[in-house]
Amino acid sequence: MSWRSEAVRIYAFAHRSLLMAGRNVFFVFELVFWPLIGVVSIGLMTRFLDLSPEDSAFVLVGTMALSTVQVCQLDVTYALLFDIWSKSVKHQFLAPIAIRHLALGAWLVGVGRGLVVFALLAAVSHWAFGFNFLAPGWVTLALFLLGCFLTAAAVGFFVCALVVLFGTRAEVSAWSAVNLVLVLCGIYYPVSVLPEPVAGLAAAIPLTYFLDAFRAPYGFPPQFQWPWLWGFALSAGYLALGHWALAAAITRSRRTGLLLKLSE
Amino acid sequence: MLAVEAHGLTKTFRSVFSRRSTTALLDVSLAVPRGMVFGLLGPNGAGKTTLLSILATLLLPDRGRASVLGHDVIREAARIRQKVNMASGNASFLWSLRPGEILTFYGRLYGLYGMRLRRRVDDLIGLCELADHLKTPYNELSTGIKQRLNLAKSLLNDPELLFLDEPTLGLDPDISIRLRAQIAALRRERGTTILLTTHYMREAEELCDEIAFIKGGQILARGTADQLKRQIRIGEVISLRLEGGAWEELGALPGILGFVSKDDRVECTVDSAVERLPTILRWLHERNVAVRHVDVREPELEEVFVELAK
Repeated sequence: MSWRSEAVRIYAFAHRSLLMAGRNVFFVFELVFWPLIGVVSIGLMTRFLDLSPEDSAFVLVGTMALSTVQVCQLDVTYALLFDIWSKSVKHQFLAPIAIRHLALGAWLVGVGRGLVVFALLAAVSHWAFGFNFLAPGWVTLALFLLGCFLTAAAVGFFVCALVVLFGTRAEVSAWSAVNLVLVLCGIYYPVSVLPEPVAGLAAAIPLTYFLDAFRAPYGFPPQFQWPWLWGFALSAGYLALGHWALAAAITRSRRTGLLLKLSE
Repeated sequence: MLAVEAHGLTKTFRSVFSRRSTTALLDVSLAVPRGMVFGLLGPNGAGKTTLLSILATLLLPDRGRASVLGHDVIREAARIRQKVNMASGNASFLWSLRPGEILTFYGRLYGLYGMRLRRRVDDLIGLCELADHLKTPYNELSTGIKQRLNLAKSLLNDPELLFLDEPTLGLDPDISIRLRAQIAALRRERGTTILLTTHYMREAEELCDEIAFIKGGQILARGTADQLKRQIRIGEVISLRLEGGAWEELGALPGILGFVSKDDRVECTVDSAVERLPTILRWLHERNVAVRHVDVREPELEEVFVELAK
């Protein structure tokens, strides 16, 4: 396949996600309403608890990461869920496409929407709570966002695999899986407060390392050595594993006939 | 050269929760030459869609092998997908997209872009008469327009082999006629091989060069419509309008498989009209029964279908 036909197929999914985002009101809620509710309520809580600026920053970083990862992951998942909801999934798998086209196209839109959410929340938290999201520097910020988006892609892959394996019964995982990941990776607290076996799980999640690295400039010494390296290495591993899981799920679905049932 | 070649295809669906299993295909073998319109007829649950789905690489067989346009359906599925497409009667697309956007999206999945994509989409909008509905979201289109859009989508990649799964299901008769004309034109003008499943005998008889009857996951008979009518041997029907005399014992003549008499009309189902009609006319003449009208007709494909579906 030429690079051009690869790009066209990726663009097809990205363009479709954009069209759907522009026409469905729940996208506005995902992009603006819920993230703003999150950051404003958490920000007000930091005031009530009279947290120091550093502690407030710690919590607000977690809140912004939650919304950014969730929005991006949902976009990856929507690449399949749209077709499942409209019972058109077989047309997609009848066409000569690969998982990379579907996932990358939807992920790019997710990155765009994630950046919008992050910018919005950064602006609101700066204006309302004096949070300086640029304190760690542009490079660190860019690495942190990339880490968030890679985590979102990996979670999106696994959720898609679950949906293809179990059908609409598993679609609730689209909204719940990322929350589970975020609870484990220390969204509002350092992972050291987690009980021992759970802390082990946290160490297996790339976002744990990205949060750890991004919070360091706010006065929280890293709990892990080489957090960026670990974060990106784990992300690459999960992306490969997620891709394999989705491919295996699609093959199984072709075998069981679920792929057809999802189109009936 | 063959467009489809299948040997011993078997597919069983198993339910995880109830531990029930349903055999949808059992040792099905099939060969379809290129350029042919091939029909699969059968009652609901016969295995028609399962067979089509395996050939279209949407489903994996449990046993057996099949090749489409020379490529193995399991090992070379990606190559097959470049060359085939499918339209089914109950197809659906993303609810809030408009016809042009749907065609553009799927066109891109087939690697089309730029002017080529725009021309192809415009051509298909014209061919399938969708121009008046370009601003309507999919979920607001009528069933007939949805079906035409479905056919347009299936032609995006100019497929060498087109799978049509009950393409006129639930359509008004006038729309069905137009859709059938478009399908016939595809074969005539582009030489597209078409594999068609349908419930409608008229559709099968009108469009298909060959037909296979499938029931319980097995192909029971195969041939042209005429061959099938002869093969099944459900007989030809001689209709007579008679006057005077008594003809109640006509049904006892040799070769008469069925006899129905009502008022002055008699219908005899015979094994061969050519052989039996002279005997019947002689028998009636000897009993001074006047024959006012004679009509001989072959069995309808529908009658063959009913016979096979028993």
